[in-house]
Amino acid sequence: MKAFIVLGLIDGVVYGLLATGLVLVYKGARVFNFAQAEFGTVAAFLAYWMFEKQHMPYWLSDVLAVLLVGLLGFILERLIVRKLFNAPRVTMLVATAGIALALIQLEIIIGGANAVPLPPAIQGIGVSILGVIVTPQQILTFVALVGLGLAMGYFFSRTDLGLAVLATSQEPVATELVGIGTRKMSSFIWTMAAVLGGIGGVLIGAGGAIFPSFMTTSYLLGAFTAAVVGGIDSLPGAFVGGVVIGLTRDLGGYFLPKTIPGGPNLLVFAVLVLILLVRPQGLLGAKA
Amino acid sequence: MTERRLRRPSARKAVSADPEAVTGEVDPADVVAELAGDAAVELSEEIEEFEGVDQVSADASESGPSAGGWIARRGLIAIMVLGVIAAPLFYRGDAGQTKLTWMAIGLIYIIFGLSINVLVGYAGQISLGHQAFVGVGAFTSAYIVSVSHASFWVAFVLAGVSGAISAALLGFIALRLKGLFLALITLAYGTVAQFTLFNVSSLTGGGAGARAPRPAGFTSNMQFAYLCMAVTAALLYIDWRMVRSKVGRAIFAIRENELSAASFGINITAYKLLAFTVSGVFAGLGGSLFAHQQQLVQASSFDFTFALTLVLMVVVGGLGSRVGVLIGSTFFALFPLIFNAISLYTALIGAVALLLTLTRFQGGIAQQIAPILRWFGGGSLRKQRRSHVMQPGGEGVRP
Amino acid sequence: MSVLDVTNLGIRFGGLEALAEVNLSVREWEIVGLIGPNGAGKTTFFNCVMGVYKPSTGSVSYRGTELIGLPTHHRVTMGIGRTFQNIGLVKVLPVIENMLIAQHAKTNYGVLSSFFGTPSVLEEERTLRRNALEILDFMGLAPYRNAVVASLPYGLQKLTEIAAVLASDPEFLMLDEPTSGMSPEEAHAFGELLVRLRKELNLTVLMIEHHVPLVVAVCDYVYCLNFGRLLAEGKPDEIRRHPEVVAAYLGEEHATA
Repeated sequence: MKAFIVLGLIDGVVYGLLATGLVLVYKGARVFNFAQAEFGTVAAFLAYWMFEKQHMPYWLSDVLAVLLVGLLGFILERLIVRKLFNAPRVTMLVATAGIALALIQLEIIIGGANAVPLPPAIQGIGVSILGVIVTPQQILTFVALVGLGLAMGYFFSRTDLGLAVLATSQEPVATELVGIGTRKMSSFIWTMAAVLGGIGGVLIGAGGAIFPSFMTTSYLLGAFTAAVVGGIDSLPGAFVGGVVIGLTRDLGGYFLPKTIPGGPNLLVFAVLVLILLVRPQGLLGAKA
Repeated sequence: MTERRLRRPSARKAVSADPEAVTGEVDPADVVAELAGDAAVELSEEIEEFEGVDQVSADASESGPSAGGWIARRGLIAIMVLGVIAAPLFYRGDAGQTKLTWMAIGLIYIIFGLSINVLVGYAGQISLGHQAFVGVGAFTSAYIVSVSHASFWVAFVLAGVSGAISAALLGFIALRLKGLFLALITLAYGTVAQFTLFNVSSLTGGGAGARAPRPAGFTSNMQFAYLCMAVTAALLYIDWRMVRSKVGRAIFAIRENELSAASFGINITAYKLLAFTVSGVFAGLGGSLFAHQQQLVQASSFDFTFALTLVLMVVVGGLGSRVGVLIGSTFFALFPLIFNAISLYTALIGAVALLLTLTRFQGGIAQQIAPILRWFGGGSLRKQRRSHVMQPGGEGVRP
Repeated sequence: MSVLDVTNLGIRFGGLEALAEVNLSVREWEIVGLIGPNGAGKTTFFNCVMGVYKPSTGSVSYRGTELIGLPTHHRVTMGIGRTFQNIGLVKVLPVIENMLIAQHAKTNYGVLSSFFGTPSVLEEERTLRRNALEILDFMGLAPYRNAVVASLPYGLQKLTEIAAVLASDPEFLMLDEPTSGMSPEEAHAFGELLVRLRKELNLTVLMIEHHVPLVVAVCDYVYCLNFGRLLAEGKPDEIRRHPEVVAAYLGEEHATA
């Protein structure tokens, strides 16, 4: 069982990362971004193409992939999100789902429908932690994402820009009056969300096989549940929620009978329904 | 006050002035009209003068098309319908078989479209997991026929029932949650259906899928296409009648103004659940036909792409408009056939079309061809008043 | 005999006490006015009576039956009709459709038949349409029957709402600022209409109003709310001259009648 706890923590920070992106967009645009995970898939494929096909250095591939996906987020914000500023939120949500669908199809058309392997950043044998074998890639992922989480914590509480982002989400009109442009803020938020998604994709995809939609299929539902559990308008909540969901999933995989297909998924769904019905503001969110 | 001639209430036939009779069987409107004099008429005249309305703003006094105009309109519709009905008889050979297959699929997608339209269009809910209801119907039908060895018709009915139940379950959740959170739950519901429910080997055959043989008497492609046609026609009729009845009005009123609907005596909970149930019945029945068309049902068909395709074909066709649903559904079902392209591109084009519709062309295809539709309905080709256009999750009127 | 009896009604929203210790009753065939400055809790009161809000304390009794706990639509079938400040109609639909919706509770066919267009459904739909047209005709709204409500000027929308609520055959009407936006002449004509409707349809009326001349001319009894509490009650003339009522309205344009 210890194995699953360790795995749960590692998966947890990934959910936390994606959940942060979701919460960020929710705070900025009051919408759920159904394309959040797919940014990761795109980044993973870009990294794959650059590293395997163009023979670029691994680190450069990763960094460029993430930056390109950030650019993608920026472009999508201008093309689509802007037009729906005043539309009902559900309409905007359907639009993000449409974006996710379009990205998935593009991946299939350009990259092929089959899975391809993305090598890990660090080769090598795994080390044993608490009796379970953890690959260097997993350690890297964990450390990087925890570091990223701390960096974001600092960013949103100590830097001007970070505080401005939070202010915009609280009081859009007031922040405009004070001189922070909502449009620039929107661009920033979506670019950052895309970057976060991209980072998730290149870190998680490495060391395994990637296929079109893999990030959405494997992580989106968990990421959303994590965001809601932590508190959909709470950034620190996103990481907390992520760990909760990571642990839930992997422990669920351990405890649930194997005869229930997709047991962990079902468990996450149950958590989602429960939390929305019982405590919709999540663990750290503000009561509406 | 200018040209309007109002029917003066005093010109109506005399009605008893006895107050007792008022609360009895006599229609109060008669009494009011007869005895209350012109009070209300005066009032509305006052308002019109005050607010400067000196011209009737409705089409009520329009005369509409001439007899010849009606013959032309109805005639054209009749020709198109007859064409569709007769077409399968002319499909010969292998190419004909393919056409028949696609025709059946197109009709089945229309049923799916109607299902979504009831829930997202009329009831204003959101459904990103609709594949769950379709799949439940499909697997139920397959199981009943191939495992329980019951007749197709039993399976067909049970598919509708199971679709209804799976939708009503979601409906109960929808009573408590709204908007974005509901959308999230529907997505999750669909995902769970795909990965858990549809993978229970004993019920669904697991990875290999479930077999769904053609019903007796409808084994050939042509016969099955006609079966689909009959079912689609029946469901179109039911949808049409529902909209023009208290059920359709109630469901739409709840969407637009829930408080007000309740104040008119509409049981909000019951009708919301009814909307889900009706949507589920359509989806389940469509799912059954879907299963027996392919003769094999696999869990992998009911994925996120399918869910989104269902929503987008209705939104792109024109949410709330039955003709829009017809157009959108057939278009997306038949796109690969029309363009001879791999269905790969269908979903991409669909996604782009969805984004275009949501951002710019909110009424979908139906709005673009609105003049033509209006002509068929007895209006003129020239644009008159603004028609209201629905967005998913939003209110009806777009300025 | 009381049509509506409200005893000790109170409701809190979080820390805010929106209504407290409100006692009000409306007797058969009375037209009762409910006045008070904006934010006094008048619409909140209506919402409590209709079941939109659940009161924290008190009871609401309609012809002897306790209403609290009953769903809104049930209260409507007992004979209560209610209008809204911001027009309780489906504004994207034409007037006639709203008139049909308004008759929902008395539509004489079942849910199942609705899907099949049986002869009884078609017959009943014709009847509903006839009823609707008669009322529209009476109100002078017949030319607008196919007009989308949102396209009508505000005053006509208000009238349409009255027509709709009448279509539902109520015994007890709760009107929320029916004359807001109307000129004095229009308000006066509305008052006459109301009195005649009361007589011919045996209606009882509870009316939230700001038009003081209308209240004085038409109401049999008046209650005044302020800050969620009953400030005063009595005959219209007494209320009009009541010092506290006048003080409460100071600053409001209708303070001096």
